[in-house]
Amino acid sequence: MFFNSLAFAIFLPIVFFLYWFVFNKTKSTQNALLIIASYYFYSCWDWRFLFLLVFSTFLDYYTGIQIEKGKSERSRKFWFWLSILVNLGFLGIFKYYNFFASSFADLLNSTGLKASPILLNVILPVGISFYTFHGLSYVIDIYYKRIKAEYNFVDYSLFVSYFPLLVAGPIERATHLLPQVKVKREFDFEKAKEGICQIVWGLVKKVVIADTCATYANAIFDNYTGMNSFSLILGAIYFAFQIYGDFSGYSDIALGVSKLFGLDLLRNFNYPYFSRDIAEFWRRWHISLSSWFRDYLYIPLGGSKGGIWMKIRNTFIIFVVSGFWHGANWTYIVWGFINAVYFLPLLLSDSNRKNMDAIVLKWNFDSAKVLLSILYTFLLTCVAWVFFRARTITDAVLYLKRIFTNREFNFQYLQNERYNYELLLMIGVFVLVEWNNRNKVEPLSGKRNMLKLALAITAIIAFGTFSDYKEFIYFQF
Amino acid sequence: MKRFLIYTIKIIVVAIFIAVALDGIYTAIFMQSKNRGKIETVFNSKAKNYDVVILGSSRANNHFVSQMFEDKGLKTFNYGMSGGHLFEASLMLKLMIERKYDIKNVILESDLNLSSDHEAEGIAALFLPYIHNSGVIKKHFSNQENFNELYYIPFYRYIKYDAKIGIRETFFTTIHKKTTALDNLGYYPLEKHKNGNMKNNITNLNPLKHNKYYEEIKNICKANHINFIPIMTPMCENVVGMNYFDKVKKTYPEIHNYENVVVENKYFSSCGHMTDQGAKIFTARIIKDFFKK
Repeated sequence: MFFNSLAFAIFLPIVFFLYWFVFNKTKSTQNALLIIASYYFYSCWDWRFLFLLVFSTFLDYYTGIQIEKGKSERSRKFWFWLSILVNLGFLGIFKYYNFFASSFADLLNSTGLKASPILLNVILPVGISFYTFHGLSYVIDIYYKRIKAEYNFVDYSLFVSYFPLLVAGPIERATHLLPQVKVKREFDFEKAKEGICQIVWGLVKKVVIADTCATYANAIFDNYTGMNSFSLILGAIYFAFQIYGDFSGYSDIALGVSKLFGLDLLRNFNYPYFSRDIAEFWRRWHISLSSWFRDYLYIPLGGSKGGIWMKIRNTFIIFVVSGFWHGANWTYIVWGFINAVYFLPLLLSDSNRKNMDAIVLKWNFDSAKVLLSILYTFLLTCVAWVFFRARTITDAVLYLKRIFTNREFNFQYLQNERYNYELLLMIGVFVLVEWNNRNKVEPLSGKRNMLKLALAITAIIAFGTFSDYKEFIYFQF
Repeated sequence: MKRFLIYTIKIIVVAIFIAVALDGIYTAIFMQSKNRGKIETVFNSKAKNYDVVILGSSRANNHFVSQMFEDKGLKTFNYGMSGGHLFEASLMLKLMIERKYDIKNVILESDLNLSSDHEAEGIAALFLPYIHNSGVIKKHFSNQENFNELYYIPFYRYIKYDAKIGIRETFFTTIHKKTTALDNLGYYPLEKHKNGNMKNNITNLNPLKHNKYYEEIKNICKANHINFIPIMTPMCENVVGMNYFDKVKKTYPEIHNYENVVVENKYFSSCGHMTDQGAKIFTARIIKDFFKK
């Protein structure tokens, strides 16, 4: 059940009605309804994986309590590692086993030893990377005594399985979401209104920007050997907007839907393409994942404390692991590695936190410099996205090489029966709208709300791509 | 909550209003389409006289050279549509009858397309802007699974088939941007392709025992005193031995088999589509066999 499907358009109002009109007596009834709705939502993908979700939830719930109750450090450690190993074990089997097995076999084959790996014929359970990380952060926080264990199974289950965030995040923290589910929610008109605006804007990003860009990006990436330099550059830009529109659009819808139920989720995107350097980009892109890795990997590894080599090591570890989190493919690992290479000079020169303030432009030289740095950062991210999108590293390298060797900058007719330049105007308008609203969560709320909503709805139904339907990219992670 | 419900209802009303308005605007634009494609042209035309009308898929569009018929004094237009099935060919003929066309002969390419009586979405969509303005289009789609949505939900058809009748096509129709669909009297010549696919496995393909739309075309012709000429057109050397055309002949004995009139691969752009040179050889033979004066 996709957020932009008819099924969800029916599901959401039903749950909303039941939540506020039937199950609104206590927080327990509210939570019980949301759990039932969430499990139904998840079972629409594949009911068999519901068992995995329930098991994972129960494991973290139980081990969390045991860690808290543990009288000796040894016992606490036992439950802690049990949870970590089982969680990562599931992730490893479903997501990474085939990758490691075939990579190991390739390695042996390259040394002359013959090896044929035993591969598992399993489907990746939707959202496993997200709900596993929910559970991990919860158990780690209990182990380090940052939070108390949750004894109410329904409340805890809701934290893990809450349907707006279940399949593609944002990756929530127990410290943020659990306190909200522990109290009865009262209806708040302003919050619900914000939710509607965020849902509509998320749909604009998904069906108008992401899905339209996807048809062009696919036509270019899938036939890159016949494309000229201009098309290849545009292909990288289109993919940059595809993945941004797709994932941030999903996040906006998730946050908006959650607001309808009175629950705030963590903000996941903050106009990342207006970043002035890569460090700022990573503070604005997939914020819940970046901060997760910062808190549960980078800082425990020593963070930016220690010597220069420690900093370099830790930087590469978190970026490469972050890349690997996205999928079991070398292209994601290289994507993470490239971002680490981008990030490193900023870290080493201690300038990774220099762009923390809001961007204010005036008619002066400094503002021109800011604009250039935004463009430069966008260019760097586009280069990295080529690796993220390409099927293999070789394809990515050849794609980039061809940009420089082809040197033709003509309009080209693509396989999707469109000219390569046709989307530029739409992207330009989208960038302008986002730029003018960069200090807000989304551009639709505020003054002339109904007019802006009407324009957004017009954009969705008139400019959206529906026939060439695409599922959300991040569902595969 | 009351405020929120009012707010939500307002949004829904605005959305419906936008959908109705856009539906009206798009339809009005398509109603004055002139030079975009064959369907729009037929819809927006008045009674025409033809000696020969050619219908079918790309294997009609690329195989019957209209000018050669004209040279023989036969007023001809090739209404074959790439990607189309018999569903669309039948509707096209109905539309012509509704527009009071006077047609003497209909050549129907009937071979591979006999294996399906489903619509070809990409082509069928091009009829949909006119669904409220043509009885035959409405009736033709009325048995389709999603007819109610297409007919009653404002703008749904433009959303569902946005790649074919969406904003881009509407824009080009507005500015009357010309396509090549109507050039060469509807015939689209193909060139020899170096990498043309010369393999086409039709071993397991079977013609339907009773293709609804083939029969429909046949009956329309009969009812309107049109000479109906169903023809199997050639395919490349690779399909020799695959007995699809024999199966067609067995099921529909009245269809004329011209499979082997052109066989050499040099006359094919791809296995199912002849080059201009091949099409001319084939058309010459058809004219000789059916229009000898």
